Amino acid sequence: MSKKLYDIISKVFSIQISEINDESSPETIESWDSFNGLILVDELENSFNIKFSISEIIDVKNVKDIKRHLKNHGVDLND
Amino acid sequence: MERKLSEYISLSQTIDVSKSSKKIKVGILSSFTINGLSETLTVKCSELDIQCKTYVAGYNQYNQEILDSKSKLYSFSPDITFLIIDIRTLLNKIFHHPYSISSSERKKIVNEKISELGNLILQFKKNCSSKLIISNFSLPSYSPGGLIETKSEFGFHDMINEINQGLSKIIKDESSVYVYNFNQFVSKFGEKNIFDYRQFFIGDIKIAFDYIPYLANDLMGYVKPMLGLNKKCIVLDLDNTLWGGIVGEDEFDGIELGQSSNGKAFVEFQKHLLSLWQQGIILAINSKNNFEDAIKVIKEHPDMILREEHFASLQINWNDKAQNLKAISEELNIGLGSIVYFDDDPVNQERIKQEIPEVLTVELPKDPSQYTDILMSLNDFNVLQKTDEDLKRGKMYSQQRQRSELEQSAKSIDDFLKQLNIKVKIKKADKFTIPRISQLTLKTNQFNLTTKRYQEEDINKFSSDNNMIVGCAQIEDKFGDSGITNAFIIEKNDKEWKIDTFLLSCRVIGRGIEDAIISYILKEAKNQGVEKIRADFIPTKKNNPAESFLPNYGFKKENEYWVYDLKDSIKTPSHLLLEVE
Repeated sequence: MSKKLYDIISKVFSIQISEINDESSPETIESWDSFNGLILVDELENSFNIKFSISEIIDVKNVKDIKRHLKNHGVDLND
Repeated sequence: MERKLSEYISLSQTIDVSKSSKKIKVGILSSFTINGLSETLTVKCSELDIQCKTYVAGYNQYNQEILDSKSKLYSFSPDITFLIIDIRTLLNKIFHHPYSISSSERKKIVNEKISELGNLILQFKKNCSSKLIISNFSLPSYSPGGLIETKSEFGFHDMINEINQGLSKIIKDESSVYVYNFNQFVSKFGEKNIFDYRQFFIGDIKIAFDYIPYLANDLMGYVKPMLGLNKKCIVLDLDNTLWGGIVGEDEFDGIELGQSSNGKAFVEFQKHLLSLWQQGIILAINSKNNFEDAIKVIKEHPDMILREEHFASLQINWNDKAQNLKAISEELNIGLGSIVYFDDDPVNQERIKQEIPEVLTVELPKDPSQYTDILMSLNDFNVLQKTDEDLKRGKMYSQQRQRSELEQSAKSIDDFLKQLNIKVKIKKADKFTIPRISQLTLKTNQFNLTTKRYQEEDINKFSSDNNMIVGCAQIEDKFGDSGITNAFIIEKNDKEWKIDTFLLSCRVIGRGIEDAIISYILKEAKNQGVEKIRADFIPTKKNNPAESFLPNYGFKKENEYWVYDLKDSIKTPSHLLLEVE
């Protein structure tokens, strides 16, 4: 589940996929700083062909939030 | 294709540059968040075997870093520093409200901003020997003045243009400061792409992530010539590279050049190659063809832009292309690392990449309409300064080829030298010749008696010293002007002169020119009542072409020096004409 999303997160933050879960956040992932956060946005937008609004971007506190916003943009994470 | 910023960032964590032979320290100062530039530069450097260390100043700290002589930037002691200030930061409130003030107030602000920038440059130079690359300011597409903007009295856009011109004026005579044309960068990729409002609002990012790698690519254009990695020569295939089709099969009238859409693409490509040649880039051909077929097109095809006179070497034969490339490098006496190779055939591209990795082999696609764009996006031809000789280099090399053709057809070496009609013009050191004299002392390795290296300031000092003579010689012959290719520096005493420096560029060796110039110096000395000339030969790994010059001319060894007694007769070669300015 959510393989594509986890691949992107793992690449951007240079961590193992097994380290990622819904609760992963800037507190649990050391490399998740504001700059890498924006790189993640850029990667997600390009991969899923969507565009987040500013409020969506600053609202993200953990991976669960990312999934919620992706779903709102019609991205199916169950493939 | 340029890679994404995220890719550079992950690559930057894995590179190993501990074995790199070349090193560079880069300072990055900017008025906004420019994360990722340092990582991208580091990766791009590592791919050229350069160890790149960077110092990125804190957010918007450029003023403090430059003005404080004890700043971290200065203790890092960079070799090259990029200073990128954006127009919003520079103009502050006026950026949004330029028309809240009068045109004379706008003018006053612009002058203040120019002198602020001038002061930053001055302070930087005082504190640091690094090269400084300062970006100019992008002209926003929007103006609150709307349509009337272009009619405004010293309007918003005029302000920015004036600042850019002021900046260029300040650095024009600064040998270590350059303006990076950021405005041109933005117009190339588009303001709407470069400036992303979301990234700006969230992180004060003024160059969107996707474009940081392209910016880094432009900045690498400065790094390469600093480390001597700039390219000097373009080697070209012919069929489907300079024209469409295969001349051996399609014949003279069947190739695509000029008329058709494809034909126009080749003409455009050739025009850009010619413009590089006019800037001193050497062109050469490496092609598998019957020589007669190919040379007929080059000489006679009405739509050919590049002609025989533009090529320094014509390797048109059925030999292996790697072997031909090596032959070109030897013939022109330039390193394989200075060559860029264009060939449409992917098999040939691969072959050269494998066999001669030092050569930059361009990945030319099948579609000729892309050729020009690919040529123009290469950042490998930059030099940090240019003398007249550099601009003429392309021409000089092809004249050299014509000379060797004459040499091969002449009956004897004397016959060849006579036919060349060589003219040697002796010139004094002045503001026109001093940069070249310094360049010659810095670059000449082969025919150089003492290999002493002098900066422009040194030559300046010597030339105003009454006890010294600094001169040079410009060489011309029936094929053209080789420019200033000799320099000499002499220390004068009443009874004896000492030759401090005597050198000759390798492209004019072996034509009696060195003998003509030394005979001029000897006669001058004799006229001024000097008895002896003393000269020194300091051997290096490369200067053995100059080793036998002194004894062959008639200098006698006295202890460790070579001495010419001016009571002896002075011989002057008769095949050339000597002029003194």
